[in-house]
Amino acid sequence: MDRKGKSLFETVWTRMDRKAGAVIELTIRQLMHRISTWVVLGVGALLMALLLIFYIDSVRESFEPIDNDGDSEDNDGDGYPMGQERKYGTPDWDSDLFPGASVFIPESDIDWNDADRSEFGNKSWEGSAFFEVSWVDDQYAGEWWDSHVDWKLNQEGIPELTDCSDWELEEILEAIWADACDLGDDDGDGMTTYYVEGKWRGEGIATVPDNYYLSWGFWTEEVYVEPEPPEMYINEDGIDCFDAFILRGPGWEDSRVGCPSEARISGSHGFDDDGDCLAANEGNGNDDNGNGVRCDVQWIASNGVVTRIEADDLVDEDPDEQEYIGELGHRTFVIAVGKMAFVILLGLFIPLFLSLGLVRDETENGTLHLLLSKPIHRAEFIIYRLTGYLAISGSYVIALSLIVGLISSILGPGDQLIRISDIPVWIGIGAATTLVLAAYGSMFNAMGLISPKYGVYLCIVFGIWEFMMGSFSILNPNWTVASVSISHWALQMIDAVVLLAWPDTIQWAEMDRAFEIDSGLSVFWQPPVHTLGTASAGIALLNSLVVLLLVSVAWIFIAKSVFSRREIM
Amino acid sequence: MTMEQQDPPAVLIDQVSKWYGQVIGINDLSLAIDGGVTGVLGPNGAGKSTLFKLMMGRIRPSQGSVRLFGVDPWKNTSPYRRVGYVSESEKLYEWMTALDFVTTLARLHGMTREEATERSAHVLEFVGLADVMHKELGKFSKGMRQRVKIAHALVHNPDLLILDEPLHGCDPLARTSIMSVIRELGEQGKTILISSHILEEIERITEQIVILHNGRLLAIGNLHAIRGLLDKHPHRILINCEDPRSLANLFITEEPVFGVRFPGEGQLEIQTNDLSAAHAILPSIVVSSNQKITSIENPDDNLDSLLGYLIKEGS
Repeated sequence: MDRKGKSLFETVWTRMDRKAGAVIELTIRQLMHRISTWVVLGVGALLMALLLIFYIDSVRESFEPIDNDGDSEDNDGDGYPMGQERKYGTPDWDSDLFPGASVFIPESDIDWNDADRSEFGNKSWEGSAFFEVSWVDDQYAGEWWDSHVDWKLNQEGIPELTDCSDWELEEILEAIWADACDLGDDDGDGMTTYYVEGKWRGEGIATVPDNYYLSWGFWTEEVYVEPEPPEMYINEDGIDCFDAFILRGPGWEDSRVGCPSEARISGSHGFDDDGDCLAANEGNGNDDNGNGVRCDVQWIASNGVVTRIEADDLVDEDPDEQEYIGELGHRTFVIAVGKMAFVILLGLFIPLFLSLGLVRDETENGTLHLLLSKPIHRAEFIIYRLTGYLAISGSYVIALSLIVGLISSILGPGDQLIRISDIPVWIGIGAATTLVLAAYGSMFNAMGLISPKYGVYLCIVFGIWEFMMGSFSILNPNWTVASVSISHWALQMIDAVVLLAWPDTIQWAEMDRAFEIDSGLSVFWQPPVHTLGTASAGIALLNSLVVLLLVSVAWIFIAKSVFSRREIM
Repeated sequence: MTMEQQDPPAVLIDQVSKWYGQVIGINDLSLAIDGGVTGVLGPNGAGKSTLFKLMMGRIRPSQGSVRLFGVDPWKNTSPYRRVGYVSESEKLYEWMTALDFVTTLARLHGMTREEATERSAHVLEFVGLADVMHKELGKFSKGMRQRVKIAHALVHNPDLLILDEPLHGCDPLARTSIMSVIRELGEQGKTILISSHILEEIERITEQIVILHNGRLLAIGNLHAIRGLLDKHPHRILINCEDPRSLANLFITEEPVFGVRFPGEGQLEIQTNDLSAAHAILPSIVVSSNQKITSIENPDDNLDSLLGYLIKEGS
């Protein structure tokens, strides 16, 4: 307590507070009275508007659904898409075989070692037999190569076939395939016997030669099956992995392959959403990748990065573009805008216009005498001026990031009205840019003080360096040289915030790379590197924050040292 | 009861020199000022502004020490709580109103916004700008701007006021008004330092002067005493008239006049050793000459001739 009964806090702190308030307010008002301030802030807002238009025009409009696995096609032209044919077990290369087409039901056969070698009846036959005909079905047609026999009936309905009554048995057996030959009415009962090998339908007595084989059965009635629209087979099996349980609930645990969070990268992923893999029931147990799990996708990672993705056939083969490319495109937009437009462009240009002359211009204008004739320390003056500059530029970038964030999160993919998970990312982008503004601001202000005349050139040289290092940091954050730049640490901050807000971004980036989607996510985003070996985004965030603050303080200190020794003429 | 410690003088300059490379700004100057209005006189480049900048901690002395209320202003800003400074710089924040401007600067003294506004309105009224305090400074005349600068220097009721050429460039009306403000402040007991290169300006405000020349202290003391010395020095009186030669004939026989010259057409220069005596006889001679006299000037009654005299005396 002092003599007047005021506490130290009230006297020292409140006085400082009032001085700070006055200088900050003066700085804000001064900057607001400058046209260059409005020009640079206006250009920034215009840039964001253009980027949003680009987003609406190209990113959002290009989410056309694509039939990645091609099963919406009808290759045999029978009116049924491949997916539907696959479901009904009919091939998509034979227009005779389609869902609802009549199906052959086998009844019995005479095998090579059966004793009884004759069978009578009106049936569909397949194999080899001496067939004493009472009636044959000329309409039971099929391709020759599919071993359908052509009876070549004449106008009276009598087959006109090669006469082989004089042939040796061996000769007959050898010569006839997918065909029949006429042996004549050898027993004189008025019915002709033919030797037949292939598929045919008719009534009569079939006698199978020794060591030969004949099966028979009947065809079902043809049933009309409504052809399904091809659109059903587009976007029917999305690439899924990490949020299997979240999406489907615990009841799906048995039937689908889950991806527990601790094994997000490597391990068994994927789920056969449309069931075409599980329905196919192939001979290899639907385990093409041989990892012992039916219909899944095996992710193989090395050092935390997925190097290979091996999918069982028909799993994760047709993702929903709206959900998948849309999500990737959206995240790429957010990250790219955050890094390039906010941190690198706004982060560099705003301080260049607003902070370079923050103290220097007061000296040059001759108004510094007014301020320094007051009981205010020169270091204090620098800090308050920078605070005033930050109050304008920081609130501008935070407001701008929230506006761009709000618009893009309303327009972005997903059923929800606003993508809530986007908001922390945009707050992070705003905060990282504000820290960059603080660091560059204090640096450029110091440059202006170090060399009032040539400071601007120094700033431009630093700006080019920062721009290059920022660009390199985006492409390869592991490059050590780039870490000797302010932009590198701000970009790290965004990488860390992205990972905290969207923890599955690693997977999205890996899928982008592995499935060759080329959305650019893996170009613009990589997991943060400055984690002190913990791989924790939180540590990286904290690290970047500390570095950016230290850089700002260091430049304030340099400016203070220069300014305190400077004689003001 | 403790011994009351004597307060250090408001300004104490002790063997201070300041040079800029080869150029000397202030040369071995010692000065103590406490109380009253002191005029700092000197031609342009004499070191007045350098001296004030040293006092305001803008520049560091190359040698010697500067103290404001016992504190080195280069290292510590605390004396500025008691100092008001009007710099020679003309620049203000043109977009601000006078009240805004003074209030903003008042807040740098740690006043709250309300206190600062109240005090600012008060000092603006004191300097005669009550009517225009809500006008933008960009629309102010030179004299009004000087008064605003004085107002900002006064807003925290300082004990010491340093005014660097406050009358520079002002019209006669503004000068009169500013001078009366300064006189009134002096009467309030403040220590005031005011610089000028015009002797007449200072003479109307104070008698206590410091004369600087080429960075050196040439004279310090009462202006009248210095002027008395000057009177004993040969003076010239320049008269513009119709017929200088006939007028010269009338003057040449008079006691205080020891010579005449005709520097130009229609001009007569009278040389005298006693300026007061010469001026005493001047009216009667002018009347008896029956000529039309257009002007009478004393070209030696200015700072330059005073300096010239002092330099000659000192050498």
